[in-house]
Amino acid sequence: MLHAKIIDSSIEKIEISKAEHFLKSEKFGAVIYFIGVVRDNNENKKVNGITYDAKDTMVIKSFEEIYNETEQKLGIKNKAVFIEHVKGHLKLSEKSILIGVACKHRDEAYRLSRFIIEEIKKRSPIWKKEHYENEDSEWLKGISLTT
Amino acid sequence: MKISVELFGAAREFSKTKYLEFNFSKSCKLIDIKKKLYEHVDNKFNGNLNYKEIIKSSAFCSDKDQLIKENQILNKNQIIGIIPPIGGG
Repeated sequence: MLHAKIIDSSIEKIEISKAEHFLKSEKFGAVIYFIGVVRDNNENKKVNGITYDAKDTMVIKSFEEIYNETEQKLGIKNKAVFIEHVKGHLKLSEKSILIGVACKHRDEAYRLSRFIIEEIKKRSPIWKKEHYENEDSEWLKGISLTT
Repeated sequence: MKISVELFGAAREFSKTKYLEFNFSKSCKLIDIKKKLYEHVDNKFNGNLNYKEIIKSSAFCSDKDQLIKENQILNKNQIIGIIPPIGGG
């Protein structure tokens, strides 16, 4: 069971309560939330916000592919996964991503949560533009998808 | 034939619009589109090397969200996306 969505920050925000509602089941004994938030520094620069860009359809496709791979790669069959990622501008401490996972046991849940965030970092077409205290801004360097 | 390149991430700096449009007399390959992008950077941004590096390190995707191979032939009007190096989360 997967929920995958891009959240336009100008319209709505990531809310943990939605993930709680989605993941709630008597079948699962372990629920883990990974939340990415905007921090105030990067490489010795004072950050005051980040603009996220995304190719929405491709991002959702990548979330679905990552979810579908978890059974074979991690051997986790019974699970629920909630993934939301923001697109648009965020201020400090605002949530950029929420990955909620529910599994039968904690070991599976920890492994699943870690796998999903690491794969998103490598595969999902999302970009960050950092805004600095001195009013400069910069697109962060990332991982190339060229083969 | 018209190819529209939808801009994402760092490539959004290439234009104030969401797309760059290039005309080709017949079919083209990815290398031909990249050439047009390099020319655009030469003409509009004085050959900005950082922008050229973005083109070099970018993948490109079709309107069906599939990565385009270097030798793949594009023979109809379409929108493709430039996918600079990624890094969400």
